[in-house]
Amino acid sequence: MRISGYIPFAVGALTALAAGWAAFPHAIYQNRRQPVNFSHKVHTTTAGQKCDDCHSFRADGTFAGIPTLDKCAGCHAAPMGTTAAEKDFIDRYVTPNREPQWLAYARQPENVSFSHITHVKSGGMKCETCHGNEGETDSLRPFQQDRISGYSRDIWGRPIAHSAFRTEGGMKMDDCVNCHRSHGLTHSCLDCHK
Amino acid sequence: MTTTRRNLFKLAGGATVGVLFTPAPWRLLTDTALLSETWPGVPVPRHGEVTFQFGNCSLCPAGCAVRARSVANQPVSLAGVPAHPLSHGALCAFGIAGHHLPYHPDRLKSGPVAAADAAVRTALGQLRDTERCAVLDLRPGRTASWTYRRAMAAIHNGIYLAPLEPVPVNLAAAKTVLSLGAPLFDNWGTPGNVIAARDHFRLIQVEPVESRTAAMADLWLPIRPDSEEALVLGLANLLLADKKVAGLPAGFTDRVREFPPTVAASRSGIGEQQIAALAHELQNNGPALVLGANGSPYAAALNLILGAPGHTLVSRREAPVPDEWKKAAPVSDLASVRDGSIGVLLIDESVTGDAPPWSAIQPKLANKAVVVTFAWSKDGYGRQATYTLPTAVYPETVDDIPPAVDSPAAAFRLSAAWIAPPDGVANPADFVGALAGIAVKDALQERAAAIRKSGRGSLFVPSSATSTPARDVKPDDFWKMLQAGATWIDDVDANAAPPKLDLAFPAEAPNQVLPLVVAVTEPDAPALVSPLLSKLYQESNLHLPPQSVALHPSDARSCGLETGSHARLETGCGSIAVDVIVDPDVPPGVVEVSGGPGIRKICGASSRARVVRS
Repeated sequence: MRISGYIPFAVGALTALAAGWAAFPHAIYQNRRQPVNFSHKVHTTTAGQKCDDCHSFRADGTFAGIPTLDKCAGCHAAPMGTTAAEKDFIDRYVTPNREPQWLAYARQPENVSFSHITHVKSGGMKCETCHGNEGETDSLRPFQQDRISGYSRDIWGRPIAHSAFRTEGGMKMDDCVNCHRSHGLTHSCLDCHK
Repeated sequence: MTTTRRNLFKLAGGATVGVLFTPAPWRLLTDTALLSETWPGVPVPRHGEVTFQFGNCSLCPAGCAVRARSVANQPVSLAGVPAHPLSHGALCAFGIAGHHLPYHPDRLKSGPVAAADAAVRTALGQLRDTERCAVLDLRPGRTASWTYRRAMAAIHNGIYLAPLEPVPVNLAAAKTVLSLGAPLFDNWGTPGNVIAARDHFRLIQVEPVESRTAAMADLWLPIRPDSEEALVLGLANLLLADKKVAGLPAGFTDRVREFPPTVAASRSGIGEQQIAALAHELQNNGPALVLGANGSPYAAALNLILGAPGHTLVSRREAPVPDEWKKAAPVSDLASVRDGSIGVLLIDESVTGDAPPWSAIQPKLANKAVVVTFAWSKDGYGRQATYTLPTAVYPETVDDIPPAVDSPAAAFRLSAAWIAPPDGVANPADFVGALAGIAVKDALQERAAAIRKSGRGSLFVPSSATSTPARDVKPDDFWKMLQAGATWIDDVDANAAPPKLDLAFPAEAPNQVLPLVVAVTEPDAPALVSPLLSKLYQESNLHLPPQSVALHPSDARSCGLETGSHARLETGCGSIAVDVIVDPDVPPGVVEVSGGPGIRKICGASSRARVVRS
């Protein structure tokens, strides 16, 4: 068979490879905007706040997660500055006392119970280990949500081909198990699953 | 390149091969699997604040203390309370999965409550002088039990029926425990208490099969089926010698003389020397305790010989009740009721307990008797009752849990009510109380006030893991703490008289028709078990499947059965269809019985059975 006989096969294969590697990662996620253009950088540098000023532990050790409007309104009862984002935040949320519907990048699936205090206090882990340099960003990146499963891209990990060879950045069960194993920790199902 | 059919196939083939080298198909597989976890109908735990609540498990009389982790006030996992003085942090598999029960697909959520109420009132109005209204309570000693007793005292010809309560045991005082087939490590008593006391006593398990308890015993004596009586008589022969023990029936001492160790050894299959060594150990490594299955009078007699009453068998006071409650009907035994005399029967099946088989109840019923059962599912008396009314399941309702058999002191604790019950359920105590015109809404609080007023005992608070004398707790705080999972534990009454043992030996009834001895291999389970737990249980291959029996090959041959045969298991209490498994590890003469709906009902009160091909 002449080489031209392979051309349709090669065209099909190359097209599928291009679609699978270049187009699919974009197609599988939908980008959703956060309700407020929040700057972690301004809060950690200009306002001099630390992570746990807003993302705090309650008295009983449970993690409060993303702060509620009450916490924000403590400082932002009136506009602090003249930026459009500040005005927008005051007008849309603080004044009508409406809770912003934040999209949590690192929210685990419903069947998982993750204990922040165990990892931070007992395990001595830093926030950045799992959440990256979120505290230094000047604006919130879009929330990338899997169109089928509904999971955040941060759970899957940035590489589309999340595999045994490229495991960085994910928060899937494999990632948890790998980290626990690397620290010589044992675990059972009910340690993490509800 | 031209567009031909061949080229199109080549293009598609190339695309198929190419796509396999991209992440797309593999990712879609994962995503589809994840999507299937959130399909409509799959329960989704709530998102919200994580909180911890304390309570007590009411699935069995052990009443183990429970700590629930809740998300947005919905319990998502249950665990024990390590510092608890009664349950010591243990929680059995049923208890760990208890919060699944409200979502069980087989639970009853609605029933003919109004119709049953009307029918009962009509039947009460038409009762003849010779007919009675009865309440059958499977777990006596509760505040609800007192409501039933008060109601039956108020209703003409009322009678309160309950199983006889076993004599309380003080395991912590025992150095040697001889168990005649008692399932000590199969949900007997309070599992945590048994485990906590385990290091301090030597356990000798006498049982034909190697049960879980036998496997965990210091010594397992594989006795010939149904010959425990011979062993006890042989031991008594050695222990009594020329000694006289007050309280032993003359008939028993006469029989003891007929059982020198040689006879006991030949009947039981346990060596003569072994019997002698056992008698020596019981006598010299005391205090000793003998536990028999189903309140065996032979175990009671041996306990009397060994001096167990007042040491390892104790008298227990009941938790105080308000004075005005004491005008209540006495506790009666079902067997004492005249046949054909019960015109209205109300059965509280909402709690587990010793349930008499229907074959024992039916003869007591009058013609056209109205039978109402309060139950979680239709699997119990609901099959025979006129009305089956659904009740709240654990952990939906507040009820008190009387102390278990291994609790030497009285206790008062409330079951957890963390989930709202469905609208259509009935409260048995409210139903029965209303028939007699008794207000029972605040009964638990009234009893708690009576306990606090007595000044006895101490209150264990699980959130702080501390015990405080009850008299030092303010009355309002006492009730609030009980609602928050605290346990009141009575002081042990040092001046109490030794308990009286039931030494009523049943008449000899050799039964040639039922040649096999029943060995129930599964622990007594609540009426409903978490669907997740039962799925794992059925698939584990570690247990007999539900509705099945196991036989030794020789017994199977004589019955014409083989593995996979469909058969009927027949006992003195009824029969049920079962599947047969032939297992050489089952001792000859024994039929091992699994759990499952109905099977326990016909085996619970019967020790002998036969298996016939169906």
